[in-house]
Amino acid sequence: MNASKLLVVAAAMSMSATAFAAGAHGGGHGASSGEPGKASEAGRTITVEMYDNYYEPETIEVKPGETVRFVVENKGNLVHEFNIGTPAMHENHQKEMKMMVEHGVIQGGKLNKQMMDMDMGNGHSMKHDDPNSVLLEPGQSQELVWKFTGKGSIEFACNVPGHYQAGMYGDVNFK
Amino acid sequence: MKTRLLTGFLSLLMPALVLAGEYDLTVDRVNIDTGDFVKEGIGYNGKSPGPVMRFKEGENVKINVTNNLDEMTSIHWHGLILPFDQDGVPGISYPGIKPGETFTYEFPIQQAGTYWFHSHSGFQEPDGAFGAIVIEPEGREPFRYDRDYVVQLTDKHPHSGDRIMRNLKMMPDYYNREQQTVGEFFSDAAENGLMNTLQDRMAWGDMRMMKADVEDVQGFTGMINGMGPDQNWTGLFEPGERIRLRFINSSAMTYFDVRIPGLDMTVVQADGNNVQPVNVDEFRIGVAETYDVIVRPKDAQAYTIFAESMGRSGYARATLAPEEGMEAAVPQLREPARLTMADMGAMHGMDHGSMDMSGAQDMSEMDHSTMQGMDHSGMDQGSMTMSEKGPSDPFYAKGSGIVPTAANGGKFLSYADLKAQDPLYEDREPTREIELSLTGNMERYTWSINGVKYEDADPIRLQYGERVRFKFVNTTMMTHPMHLHGMWSILDAGAGEWNPVKHTISVAPGTTVYMETEVDAPGQWAFHCHLSYHAAAGMFRKVIVEGGPDATQSKAAVATEEGGDA
Amino acid sequence: MSRIRSFVAGSLLGSALLPTAVAAQEMIADTSSRKQPLTSWGVQFEELEYRYSDDDEELGVWSADFFYGTDDLKVRWLTKGEYAIEEQAYEGLENQLVGQVPISDFFDAKAGVRFDTPEGPDRTYAVLGVAGLAPQWFEIDANLYVSEEGDTSAGLDAEYELLLTNYWILSATLDATVAFSEDREIGVGKGLVSTETGLRLSYDLIDRAFSPYVGVVHERKYGDTADLAEAEGGGTEDWFAVIGARIAF
Repeated sequence: MNASKLLVVAAAMSMSATAFAAGAHGGGHGASSGEPGKASEAGRTITVEMYDNYYEPETIEVKPGETVRFVVENKGNLVHEFNIGTPAMHENHQKEMKMMVEHGVIQGGKLNKQMMDMDMGNGHSMKHDDPNSVLLEPGQSQELVWKFTGKGSIEFACNVPGHYQAGMYGDVNFK
Repeated sequence: MKTRLLTGFLSLLMPALVLAGEYDLTVDRVNIDTGDFVKEGIGYNGKSPGPVMRFKEGENVKINVTNNLDEMTSIHWHGLILPFDQDGVPGISYPGIKPGETFTYEFPIQQAGTYWFHSHSGFQEPDGAFGAIVIEPEGREPFRYDRDYVVQLTDKHPHSGDRIMRNLKMMPDYYNREQQTVGEFFSDAAENGLMNTLQDRMAWGDMRMMKADVEDVQGFTGMINGMGPDQNWTGLFEPGERIRLRFINSSAMTYFDVRIPGLDMTVVQADGNNVQPVNVDEFRIGVAETYDVIVRPKDAQAYTIFAESMGRSGYARATLAPEEGMEAAVPQLREPARLTMADMGAMHGMDHGSMDMSGAQDMSEMDHSTMQGMDHSGMDQGSMTMSEKGPSDPFYAKGSGIVPTAANGGKFLSYADLKAQDPLYEDREPTREIELSLTGNMERYTWSINGVKYEDADPIRLQYGERVRFKFVNTTMMTHPMHLHGMWSILDAGAGEWNPVKHTISVAPGTTVYMETEVDAPGQWAFHCHLSYHAAAGMFRKVIVEGGPDATQSKAAVATEEGGDA
Repeated sequence: MSRIRSFVAGSLLGSALLPTAVAAQEMIADTSSRKQPLTSWGVQFEELEYRYSDDDEELGVWSADFFYGTDDLKVRWLTKGEYAIEEQAYEGLENQLVGQVPISDFFDAKAGVRFDTPEGPDRTYAVLGVAGLAPQWFEIDANLYVSEEGDTSAGLDAEYELLLTNYWILSATLDATVAFSEDREIGVGKGLVSTETGLRLSYDLIDRAFSPYVGVVHERKYGDTADLAEAEGGGTEDWFAVIGARIAF
């Protein structure tokens, strides 16, 4: 692994940190992808495997109001995200992920934890700790419990630059 | 690695389910109608470009090629990994295909992606003898799309290849209609001052070099899939669909800057090998390169695919639309590119700061001290911050006049952005380095490697199993797309094990570019600049791979001995 | 990631089972035309024109060359003529056949013979010269001649093209001849013999194959040569209006 040298450009760090605040994706303009669920309410577990650059499975079926426990496993060689949201939310999040790549937080197959924890001023960081998403290095796996509150156009997607556009997304179909 | 070895053994022990396909191609005289002119040329199965050959990874193909011309012909499968005697280069792979004769190619398809094929005889390729190859992978594609189109570019010229070569030998600027004029002198003088402009012209005149020497052969009509700008090839889509566009540059001489105003493009493959997706607004496709991009038009409107030549002397145009007949605006050509002293860098080792006038605005923030022998390590991070400052790309000389910029001010693809999606080879130290100076003399229209033309050159000898690092030092003012047959070219893009695997490496003027090759294919191979008239003028080598398994006995065995336990 | 590497395994096993590889493939020698020096040819009429002088003299004039050969050796036939239309006589008719080899990045050396067969006495010369592109884009052709009579002379042709646009080209030419000994029979005196200066405005109508032009040409004889001309009753200076075309194919 050729760990690319980290280039910290402090001046460029004046990114909108609110975007990284928990649960604030997409500004919540009516369209909603649901809300964080309680593990105890999860009726079933869906395992989602992440490869370079696609998911298996690529569609999941849920009932409105259902809480699902996801086990997300990164089986690829690159950093991938599993993020539940509307297409508009993903589009917004892609800008943030782009900055994370530009600032060396995401480097191909590695996450720079130090960078993620770094205080970027105003108490913000690039932690990427939103409850609707997980960001994993190759080999890692993580759980995410999500309650699908209502119907709507919802996708799970990887917003690492280029991945969504190349087709790393899956459809959430409501029964 | 162990599991992979095991998989290898298993797949060997299991009875092979071998696909086999037989295909026929005829080589014919055809008429090519560009919309601007009709010209007799050469095509396949009665058309130029020829058909799209669709193969499946793992298939054993048999291709019967019948020569209906009254001259020798050949077909080279550009980018395919195959036994050398199937590579289709007369004088290197085989003698060629005689008039009236049918030659049957047989080789296993060991890869997937977008490639192309073309004649390797005389100037048949510029005269129209080329087609596309699309290979479906054994497994799934690592990306999703609803439909795909081949977008095959060419620079069709009203003159035959032989005539162009002869004219270039007689008058090297025969086709250059973007030369600096009296008018440009005065407009430059108004902008940069009379003395500066005079000094600039004198400096170039002293070298007998032209700032306008970006495109040797102008006067072509850019074509996409055999259709000129007015004939407007159209690819249909349903709004919201993802479309995979397989761009292939089959031009004789022309690099194109490609954009689709209104659409973001995600580059997913380069030269047939998947790359980590890169979102771009525009990309430059060198001669013989391929780039696969995914676009997602959401609106029910037409979008123009606009491919502007690097020197801005011409363009190709096509359309993506929900229905036939729809059109979008066709952009204007941008101003012709002008080389700067930086592009002459490797040639004269001048002080790059003092000479260039017209590019002064590009250069204000750049450091000229580190131009030669670029260090690509850590470049992936560096390139991004540099691009925020002004047009800069580690694969162009600093202050170069031909650094591409996106027409909409957005992201222009750089070689530094290309990272292998799934590296084909283990990264390892090269066993040795071979330096190849790309050399030439524009006023004589001679092109060579290390100052020696092919006619006078000894072959480059490689040993099977070694990993060779090639160092290209471009001492000329032109950009050369270097193509090694038979083995992959691992471009040193500063990404270590993620370095992209290509078949054609473009080397800009005044730069040094490295590529590494795992010497895993026995036999003899061609290695040349893919600009037709440069190759014909001598920028060409034979490569002999010594040792290794017999190509006929183990067609599938194409990896290195060391690779197994690497 | 497994594709090539599984072949590795195949290769290892393969090389264990099969006898050690021998390159059974016949490696051919490249005898294709690509391996041969590229041979080229071209024809250029730098001047093919009608001249009308300030004392109503009409001339048909050409200056052309034909080459055939490779980068390393070319054969060049240069032909120049001035045909006086009223007199129906060649005032000048010169043919050169030279071999040409490169001697530097921008210059070639030439050697050969020149035959002058105008109205009046003929001459044959040995020619030694250099031709090429000088800094600042001056096309130079300089030659030394020795005639069969033993007389030596030198000629210098220079040309500069100014691109008004990429199609309208103003070209300036200067031809000068110096003799190192007198050859009275053909009217050449020792010293500077003559100059011909021209200014032509051309337009590239068909590629660079056909470029019509108009221009002015000034011819002047000097010194002893001028005296010889005057003694013969001829003039020493002429102005011409010219119309013609540059042709290349």
